[in-house]
Amino acid sequence: MARQDEVYNKIKSVLMDEFEVEESDVSMEANLFTDLELDSLDAIDLMVTLDKELGIEIKTEEMQDMRTIEDVCNFVISSIPVNE
Amino acid sequence: MRRVVITGIGLNSPLGNSYEELYKSLKEEKCGIEYVKEWEDIKGLGTKVAGRVKDVDLKAIPRKYRRSMGRVAQLAAVSTAEAIADANLSQELMSSKRCGLAFGSTMGGNETMFEYMPEVKENMSFRGQNSMAFLKMMSHTVAANLAQMFEIRGRNLPTCSACTSSSQGIGAGYESVKYGMSDVMICGGAEEHHYLSAGVFDVMSAASTKHADEPHLSSKPFDESRDGLVVSEGSGAIVLEELEHALARGAKIYGEVVGYGTSCDGAHITTPSKEGMQQVMETSLEDANLQASDIEYINAHATATARGDIAESHATHALFGSITPVSSTKGHMGHLLGGCGVVESVICLLALNKSLLPKTMNFETLDKECALINVLSENVEQDVEIVMSNNFAFGGINTSLIFKKYKKA
Repeated sequence: MARQDEVYNKIKSVLMDEFEVEESDVSMEANLFTDLELDSLDAIDLMVTLDKELGIEIKTEEMQDMRTIEDVCNFVISSIPVNE
Repeated sequence: MRRVVITGIGLNSPLGNSYEELYKSLKEEKCGIEYVKEWEDIKGLGTKVAGRVKDVDLKAIPRKYRRSMGRVAQLAAVSTAEAIADANLSQELMSSKRCGLAFGSTMGGNETMFEYMPEVKENMSFRGQNSMAFLKMMSHTVAANLAQMFEIRGRNLPTCSACTSSSQGIGAGYESVKYGMSDVMICGGAEEHHYLSAGVFDVMSAASTKHADEPHLSSKPFDESRDGLVVSEGSGAIVLEELEHALARGAKIYGEVVGYGTSCDGAHITTPSKEGMQQVMETSLEDANLQASDIEYINAHATATARGDIAESHATHALFGSITPVSSTKGHMGHLLGGCGVVESVICLLALNKSLLPKTMNFETLDKECALINVLSENVEQDVEIVMSNNFAFGGINTSLIFKKYKKA
């Protein structure tokens, strides 16, 4: 749970700082495309930023099914190596 | 024959951010060139002066569009938004196939290039690179970004030819409207402040290096004591429209484009040719069906380099002799590179509408190697009907535009 909070807060700060999303629009359920008005290029750049900041390796071709912030959260957590 | 008129103007320059501000600065003989302290830290860069755009809110551009724009495209976007508002173009008209764009710049986003390239090269890896970098630095970044922001669906002609980028943009727009491909063309160009642009001229010993302590004295077009150009930034956009189309919607008309020529020296990559310059002015006069004696004011390209000013003076003299008033406004603001053609065209419209023939700032004594042309050393108040704006770029690319005062029939 702690890890999920940490990742969620990181995603939230990236969305606010880099993508100028309003804090009040960010929630686990928020849809990146319909609620936050991002597009596929933004989604790639979001993952690239998380990749850089969290030191994990994300393969963008595996992002196809991501829609909500919760999806992003779960995807990032699953990308963090287990032995860390 | 379809006639082409100017119905909207927007600009961001070291002399102000609107038609009226530019007029006021010229009238009050202001200089927009300043000392750039941060350039002291760059080894081997002799020039320390530039003209910069101030008081412009680039963050006002929605992020959706801004994300793929470097400063160069952002400046162009602000100028274009102003020109569109000024011309009162409806979205329906802008998004019709009869409305297009012609816009250029020398470089894409310089700063983005500096962030992106070293990282990729050092690591030989694209990991961690975002998707926007290329869109900010590609050669047609300005034209591409403007088209998506303003939903332009007609022709889009990127005119990326260094110092003739925006004059070629206006020329391409004029021809598009004149020959019936479009009814409205939004045209112009831009450049962003960056040491890369300054460095390019510096290594060729073409940039001014002697006046860091007195920046306003840096740029002295045609003067015998000139020591090179000042690399500046700026952007501008003008709306060109077919006359009957403009009249039908009750548009305000700033003037008419009546002549355009573009040609290439086809000789040296940087050394300008007097013959090439003369030819393009002749071509523009032929296009306008005018004689040289019809031109009442010439806004010269004259950047204050040794060779450029000499060649241009001889080309100008060969056609216009020693009487026609000539000035270069690069003494006031330096050289806006991709933005100079459009801002200088706006200065020509100010000459037509406000009877102001601006002086050449810092001009006192004509270089002995220049031909004897009538370089204005003081502002002149004079009604004029027909004026010319000339620009020349690396690669020997030349442009000449002729503007005429519009009179209601």
